[in-house]
Amino acid sequence: MNKRNFLLLGFAVVVAAQLAVPAWLIIEREWTLREGQVFKFKTRPIDPADAFRGRYVWLGLEPDKVKMPNAQQWLYNQKAFAVLGTDSNGFAVATRLERERPRGEAAVPVRTRWSDTNGHVHISWPGLDRYYMTEKKAPAAETAYREHNRGTNRSCHVTVRVLGARAVLENLFIEEQPILDWLKAGQ
Amino acid sequence: MSKKAIQWLYGELPRLVAQGILTPDTDAKLRAHYGPMEPARPARLAVIIFGVLGALLIGAGLILVLAHNWDELSRPVRAGLSFLPLVLAQGLAAWVMFNRPQSLAWREGVGGLLFLMIGASISLVAQTYNISGDLPRFILTWSLLGLPLIYLLNAVVPALLYLWGITEWACHIRWDDGWAGAYWLLAALLLPLIVSWLRADRFQPRLTLLFWALCVSVTVAAGVTIERVLPGLWIMLYAGLFALMFLAGEFWFSAAEGFWSRPLRHFGAAGVLVLTFLFTFEWPWKEIGWHYWYWDRFQKAGWHAITDGVLGSVVPIAALLLLVMTIRRKTPLGLLFGLAPILATAGYSLCSLSETYAPAAGLFDLYLLVMGLWLLVTGIRLGRQGQMNVGLLAITALIIARFFDTDLSFLLRGLIFIALGVAFLVANIVMLRRKGAKHEQA
Repeated sequence: MNKRNFLLLGFAVVVAAQLAVPAWLIIEREWTLREGQVFKFKTRPIDPADAFRGRYVWLGLEPDKVKMPNAQQWLYNQKAFAVLGTDSNGFAVATRLERERPRGEAAVPVRTRWSDTNGHVHISWPGLDRYYMTEKKAPAAETAYREHNRGTNRSCHVTVRVLGARAVLENLFIEEQPILDWLKAGQ
Repeated sequence: MSKKAIQWLYGELPRLVAQGILTPDTDAKLRAHYGPMEPARPARLAVIIFGVLGALLIGAGLILVLAHNWDELSRPVRAGLSFLPLVLAQGLAAWVMFNRPQSLAWREGVGGLLFLMIGASISLVAQTYNISGDLPRFILTWSLLGLPLIYLLNAVVPALLYLWGITEWACHIRWDDGWAGAYWLLAALLLPLIVSWLRADRFQPRLTLLFWALCVSVTVAAGVTIERVLPGLWIMLYAGLFALMFLAGEFWFSAAEGFWSRPLRHFGAAGVLVLTFLFTFEWPWKEIGWHYWYWDRFQKAGWHAITDGVLGSVVPIAALLLLVMTIRRKTPLGLLFGLAPILATAGYSLCSLSETYAPAAGLFDLYLLVMGLWLLVTGIRLGRQGQMNVGLLAITALIIARFFDTDLSFLLRGLIFIALGVAFLVANIVMLRRKGAKHEQA
């Protein structure tokens, strides 16, 4: 093989690898969005001043803690899987934490925070903490959100599709409306 | 003889022949001896710099345009568009590889562009699907996907971006309390490039640039990859690392001219001086050594400490070997800076065994003073203003630092400050006058 063909082959392999990574990200997410089970997560009351920052919305999903029989055995910042269930209002709950990915159940990777004296392990949802918007809409959303919700108890939730241990954020709702519709209605 | 000197000589030759100092025959012989001189081509350098800048700006612009999250577009369209910058840059890279392989400007420019577009493409997909994910993993994937470009295009810009990527990755991993020792394996992937460039021309500007970046990267990485199982290991590691850099610069690159073309020597020297200054305080020497061994960290992940063992021994030993080689060459400056790891090890052992800090700090007071004086005196004697000022600076720093440890009166402190200021001014004025006199004589 001469040098030119060798270079060509090398370049082709590199190009394929570079395209494969984003392609795989897309395929995995599209598959989850199509086939995954829908869970509604409440988001914690967000400080209006901090709710919309830059080009994305910071989300703080609930539940943020899980009751565990051996809560003290969970250390800070450990990887874990939160096994999901649904409460009587249709919102997601974390029924338990597992160290290994459980087979045949919807479970989302989480990180442990601290464990309290009531037997709760506090968790964060690192893969599900941002909802992207345009840099124009994010500040507009912040203003609208602040004016609209002063002193009222707003309700916010996100829908997440879960397939196995893969979770993809689908939409952000404010007062039961998708955020973009809610913004349009508010303007 | 360096290129600059030959260039100067060739510039002088016609005048010397015209004045009858040299015969045309000697002129021809001299030219035959030193060989043809490649004309300096500033235009070419400008093309490379602006080519790279242009490519990076276009890349950044494309990222900004596409990062605009078009809500109006459907998700599949946005996902498809995420590939656009990557595919365009890949097409351009292919064209350069097969149609402009000789053009350094094209290779460097497109290498930088394609490297950035890999990251852009992954980020755009992440934005479309609200993936907030794992930043270190993203940076590592990006860097590894960009790595082959360095070799395919034989370019330094992707190599610099790769170095940034793996350093950033190591810092994030450390921040998350992980093990970043793999940095050294990732950095070693640049070795074939460095070796081939060293063989071709070890003074080439692109290699010099890479060495500057390597010095910064390795200095950061040394700090974030040691596990701190053995408290105070950094003292010996950094002393060894900076001495190694300085000695390698002295040993293999001493023919290079100018401050910027000697990255190893100057980065290493600055490192040794700053480190020595820090070691004149007592805080680095407190609670170090075997008595403070972190058992819990060792038990949690004992194999993580392998990096400590390898780095903590290989780096200072390599520095010592170079020191021995330097002693044979009889370069006093190399000997002086090369002593740092030996003194650091002596100070470390002293503190671990006796739990008193003053002797180690005192040892480095003395070391900094000797280094400062040596640089000052040799700087004056050899007419090297920069070296003289570094020496003065070292002595001044030492005096100021010791000021704050003692209860001297304001009057005395003030007088010493004035004396130091006067010393700086007088030394520089004398040096300038001397240079002026030499210039006039010439």
